[in-house]
Amino acid sequence: MPDIKAIYVHVPFCKRKCKYCTFASYCLRENDIPAYLNGVKKELELRSAGGIIDTVYFGGGTPSLLSVAQIAGILDTIKNNFDLRQDAEITVEVNPGTVDLKYLSDLNKAGINRLSLGVQSFNDAELEMLGRIHTAKEALKVIDDANGAGFSNLNLDLIYGLPGQSLKSWEGSLLKALETNPAHLSLYALTLEPEDLLFKEINSGKYPEISPDTAAEQYELAEKLLKNHGYTHYEISNWAKPGAECCHNLVYWQGGRYLGIGVAAHSFIENRRTANTADLDQYLDALSCGKPPPQELNEIIPVEIDIAESVILGLRLCGGIDLSHFQKRFNIDIMEWYKEPIGELLNIGLIETDKNLIRLTPHGRLLGNEVFWRFLPDTV
Amino acid sequence: MKQLRKRNFCIIAHIDHGKSTLADRLIQLSGALKGDKMVDQMMDSMELERERGITIKAKAIRLEYQAKDGITYELNLIDTPGHVDFAYEVSRTLAACEGAILVIDATQGIQAQTISNVYFAMDHNLEIIPVINKIDLPSSETEKVLDEIDSILGYKSDEVLQISAKTGQGVPELLEAIINKIPPPKGELEHPLRALIFDSHYDSYMGVVAYISVNDGSIRKGDKLRLMGQGTEFEVVNIGYFNPNFYPTGELLAGDIGYIATGLKSVGDCRVGDTITSIENGADKPLIGYKTARPVVFTGIYTTQPEDHGQLREAIEKLSLNDASFTYEPENSPVLGNGYRCGFLGLLHMDIVQERLEREFDLSLIVTVPGVKLMITRMDGSQEMIVNPSDLPEPSELLKIEEPWAKISVITPSAFIGPIMELVTQSEGLYKHTEYIGHSHSPDALGQRVRLEYEIPLRSMLTTFYDQLKSHSKGYASLDHEVIGYRETKLIKLDILVNGVVVDAFSRVVPPEKAHEIGKSMVEKLKEVIPTQMFKVPLQASVGSRIVARADISAKRKDVLAKCYGGDITRKRKLLEKQKEGKKKMRSIGKVEVPKDAFMSVLKMER
Repeated sequence: MPDIKAIYVHVPFCKRKCKYCTFASYCLRENDIPAYLNGVKKELELRSAGGIIDTVYFGGGTPSLLSVAQIAGILDTIKNNFDLRQDAEITVEVNPGTVDLKYLSDLNKAGINRLSLGVQSFNDAELEMLGRIHTAKEALKVIDDANGAGFSNLNLDLIYGLPGQSLKSWEGSLLKALETNPAHLSLYALTLEPEDLLFKEINSGKYPEISPDTAAEQYELAEKLLKNHGYTHYEISNWAKPGAECCHNLVYWQGGRYLGIGVAAHSFIENRRTANTADLDQYLDALSCGKPPPQELNEIIPVEIDIAESVILGLRLCGGIDLSHFQKRFNIDIMEWYKEPIGELLNIGLIETDKNLIRLTPHGRLLGNEVFWRFLPDTV
Repeated sequence: MKQLRKRNFCIIAHIDHGKSTLADRLIQLSGALKGDKMVDQMMDSMELERERGITIKAKAIRLEYQAKDGITYELNLIDTPGHVDFAYEVSRTLAACEGAILVIDATQGIQAQTISNVYFAMDHNLEIIPVINKIDLPSSETEKVLDEIDSILGYKSDEVLQISAKTGQGVPELLEAIINKIPPPKGELEHPLRALIFDSHYDSYMGVVAYISVNDGSIRKGDKLRLMGQGTEFEVVNIGYFNPNFYPTGELLAGDIGYIATGLKSVGDCRVGDTITSIENGADKPLIGYKTARPVVFTGIYTTQPEDHGQLREAIEKLSLNDASFTYEPENSPVLGNGYRCGFLGLLHMDIVQERLEREFDLSLIVTVPGVKLMITRMDGSQEMIVNPSDLPEPSELLKIEEPWAKISVITPSAFIGPIMELVTQSEGLYKHTEYIGHSHSPDALGQRVRLEYEIPLRSMLTTFYDQLKSHSKGYASLDHEVIGYRETKLIKLDILVNGVVVDAFSRVVPPEKAHEIGKSMVEKLKEVIPTQMFKVPLQASVGSRIVARADISAKRKDVLAKCYGGDITRKRKLLEKQKEGKKKMRSIGKVEVPKDAFMSVLKMER
């Protein structure tokens, strides 16, 4: 079994909930932050394990609501309980509008070497529609500050496929982002759940319906534009300057094992995937007594699902999956194991083979789900 | 109990006019069942019946009632189906009784189907007690309804009882009228046995249970009996009456209503309408001419997944044990594989069977466009009946086609005569007759009520005719129909091609001049219901090699999970599993995934 390579720490606090967000996050609970951080440290101690950790990721919620000292404190606990590599990738998600140059400089000095900035759009009307707490100008300011603070490894998150968003408007946001020359870009199609406020607002007619055709065009535009600017498209929704691929997320896509700490955080250790309770109070209660948090998911991943997930996640990578890797890891020949779906998908042009690789075609990247579901085993 | 103290009767009522409520009230007021045992609508036992508010299968119940004359009478109430599809079953139920309570809703007046049932009851010399129900409702129009009853059926207002089955008002008087007006059964105990089967069902312990009305003679457990129409012979395994459950008594005598368990394996061997007699010393003449109810609507039934065909076969076989009026024959579709061509008494019957197959046997079904049975004559003079549009010969081989016609009767406020006339004309119908009902004292905005008669190809009544009639009349019109015979017609086969493949399940026969219009609305409807595929899909309507309409489904551009990180993997996998499950509800046709609803949607399509 592979060792744990990545640690994820969830910070479930926000100033305000975005209108498209379904992650675990709590507003107006900032007084609980100190207790929560004690809990996180306790959980790290309880779950300390061997293996060399390549990457740590502070996600949320809004991790930048924590003080630098608080983040550094958690990092110390990790170092004390795990074998964290000297040159590990350590990322903090930052919400524009929550930090300044001083904060970011201190963060850099504390050993954080990568920032992921939730910019989402450079159009104020779109930011407002999404329920973001910042403006485009504030986003540009935080990018400036991050550069000034010494961060060279920056990711910007942008969202396309917004209700009523034109191709032109999307191109505007992309060009603005490219002007700042980030090392990494994550471009996500807006995906709404029925419980999201924005979903309800679209239903009530406040905003127009999302057009999947426009989203497809926006995606294709981004592929072209980013290629011209020297970015490698390395995963369905991610682009990077050569060498700046996100080490943390690659652990997920390459089927690596990871430890998730905090409210609602997921772990995948050996053959078991677990998730901590998404309820902040339950989490606090358990850890204040020194007990592990209740789990809301605890499933054994049988080997045929592990194989299916590994193929599905692997195909998200533009490099595709390496057949010899599967041979070595699961002792199976993928071409034989998935003879039927692979044949069908080659036939309809959604995947292609290249020597020892299978990968999505550009067409397949837009229709990934049509590829992915075919690899799932039949359920009883 | 002496035959003179028996009263066998049924209730004739339109859907929702309160038949089940009245039955419950009669049961309660006669005191035969204690109140705490009452379940609302005791006589509708099948789940589906309750949901749809219609009674599909007749049931019977025996009550004891002490009348004002101090004598205790035995009342047998037989429930009747309320829908025209089951007209044959209704007629057998009526034939088993000496009287009928005619229930008419005080807010709605006489409905078309009610009239034909009343006429049938009159033909069989049943004593009819007309009753206006729901007089407690503020919207009741008792005077107007009294006038209608007088005008159409000839009962004067002093002969009509006014009741509320809901509150019980007038029901004690109704019970007395049942005793005083309806004659006791008039058969002879000493004559050879004659008993009429008015319903039957299959029971896994007792075999077929026949619901019977004993006219002459008597039956005991162990008797060896014969059906005069079908010739089936059997031994009585169990015998008794309904209280409302089976209550074994060991014998039934002339004048009794009850059940016999036959041990037979299929209701097809023991059909409604047949007369039972003894094998030895049997009767010479049956009680009533026996015939089988003939299916008039035909459709192909297939499973969404071809590998489930075996389960469909089992389900259909099981269901037919309990429903002798639907027919099935295996057929093979080039596109859908193995299935059955099934015949039904009408659209409601079709819906019910399909729903029972899906619900009781957990099947996912594709039902093709319903059609009628056509009589074709080839150039060489040979004749053939066909029920599948795919069997229609090339026009060059055809001398003529004949199709069934129906006489329909519509009752509606006169305000809707225009729209209804237009609907019937569009549906190729012919106007026959108008009759004004009653002498409206105070004509309201919608005008006086009229009864309209038309003749119309039965084919035109399939799919949406009834729904359209309702919408053209704001829900006021009621419809009755009766198949009257075959007439020559001009029809051609209209095919639908999905991605270049003819899908026989969508094929239908239409008049040549309507091919374009129907083809266009079909492809447009399909365009709405078939989801986008990974490629552009042309939908075409064709007559022979000529394309008469086309619509294209544009290719699906984007379907991909934007994000998938550590916290999402299980959830995203479940979404993909759901997507995969969804594919099982689709039928792959020419590489196109067609949802089963698509077949339903063209079937229910407005024209």
